[in-house]
Amino acid sequence: MNAPAPASPATNSVSVVLQDIVQEYPAPGGGVTRVIDRVSLSFAQPGINMLLGPSGCGKSTLLHMLGGVRPMGSATPSSGRVLIDGADCHGAHDDSVMVFQRYANRPDLSVFDNVAFPFRLQLWRKRVPEGEWRKRVTDMLAAVGLSDKAALRPAQLSGGQNQRVALARALVLRPRILLMDEPFGALDAQTREEMQLLLIELYRAWPCLVVFVTHDVTEALALGDRVIVLSTQPARVADDFAISETRPRSAAWQRSPQAQAFAERVLNQLHQASPGKGQVRVTV
Amino acid sequence: MPRTEFWNPYAVPEAPRRRLLGLAAVLALLVLWSAVAASGLVSPSKLPAPWEVVAAFGYLAWHDGQSMLLTATLWSVGRLLVAGVLVILIGIPIGIVMGAAPQVNAALSPLVDPFRSAPVVALLPILVMWMGIGEAMKIAFLFIGAVVYLIPMVRDAIQAVPQSYWIGARDLGATPWECIQRAVIPLAMPRIADAVIVAFSVMWTYITVAEYVNAREGLGQLIQNARRFSAWDQVFAGIIVIIALALATYQFMVWLKRRLYPWETQQ
Repeated sequence: MNAPAPASPATNSVSVVLQDIVQEYPAPGGGVTRVIDRVSLSFAQPGINMLLGPSGCGKSTLLHMLGGVRPMGSATPSSGRVLIDGADCHGAHDDSVMVFQRYANRPDLSVFDNVAFPFRLQLWRKRVPEGEWRKRVTDMLAAVGLSDKAALRPAQLSGGQNQRVALARALVLRPRILLMDEPFGALDAQTREEMQLLLIELYRAWPCLVVFVTHDVTEALALGDRVIVLSTQPARVADDFAISETRPRSAAWQRSPQAQAFAERVLNQLHQASPGKGQVRVTV
Repeated sequence: MPRTEFWNPYAVPEAPRRRLLGLAAVLALLVLWSAVAASGLVSPSKLPAPWEVVAAFGYLAWHDGQSMLLTATLWSVGRLLVAGVLVILIGIPIGIVMGAAPQVNAALSPLVDPFRSAPVVALLPILVMWMGIGEAMKIAFLFIGAVVYLIPMVRDAIQAVPQSYWIGARDLGATPWECIQRAVIPLAMPRIADAVIVAFSVMWTYITVAEYVNAREGLGQLIQNARRFSAWDQVFAGIIVIIALALATYQFMVWLKRRLYPWETQQ
């Protein structure tokens, strides 16, 4: 992704494979707690993949493994492999960018400088000349609808606008893999829907491999080309299905028997896989 | 004026009312002081009257074509500034490294943390033994007294930055040091500034001790000298000047901090 690649699925295609992932943590009072149990998944073409499961089921941990991010500085996964284009991924790599629920915008920098933040880092400074990244940042601010807010600070923006900044900062790097960790979870219902529509638009302009973690069944059905349902404690793949309906999906489709059937299927899987544990949200 | 609830920590009165209350308290103390002094209950040799202190202040400020007070203040401020610059240049980097690298913190905190509650004043004879009775000893004393407060505060400021900023920068391809430099330190700056403000306050409280030994100039020496001649009005005047300077330093630094980090209060 050195060169500014044209937004075509062919150049963005990437293969990501999770192979027999097991994650264990030392349990209080000796022994280990297994939070992820032999999860194998592969993502091939660009597409929006929803990882759906109850809060705290380990889906964020899986996402961190894909991004090569180790918050605690300890090795993840306990066993199993993460392969990106066939190569083992052992740590931070620059094929993916993550968007978090806590958008982590620098409060002391303007919106423009927040989106330009990665280009101040050695890695990107060397790869992208200043003239180009300035143009990329300007274009991206326009794409997320923040052109007129470029000089403001994060505290002067709403939660949704701050998440737009975070999204712009991720996509300005033109990643092949976009990892989203419940990015819209803290937003109100209306803003969440706006952000989902924005994501659909941005995805159309830059079709990459999106892995989107959510505990919101409605969100999963609104966005996903594919929905992967995870059980909890330990996380296993409980269900994995495709949705072919084109995006944006109308309210009529969301109320259709097909969508209702998907929702019921997901809820049944979750109840079977982990009765009484964790919470999922359905906002209809 | 609308009545605000008395037992309500969140119903803070308007600024003019706050100032009025503060001024009233100071005036009340002055009145009490004057009354006690005028009543003759306490001998003037133990408690000089406020007007005597004012007269002593005038004498110190200008007498025989020179201002002892100005000279003393310049010396004290000079020592404080030199020590302050050293505290900032040495203390902040150590605090940052301790906060950013838990292994360094584990190694250094037993050497630094106990001094926060240690009698730094008791170090003075040792410093005299090592460094003599010149300027170096005085500045070293102020430095040690302040830096043991500053280092732990800077470390805590670094550790208080939410981890999400570190992870976010790491994910964008920052090296671990770049995460510290570009995501953690900028967010810790307001609290680091608080640490510097505390360090300067601490140095003002130690200035008289620092100037206790063999000082020919300085506010501490001025007080020390006046005490020797039982000129209690001058002692009081000197103490009030130190309090006023400490307060002015504090106000100026808080103002400067707000100018430098206006985003902190908006978060």
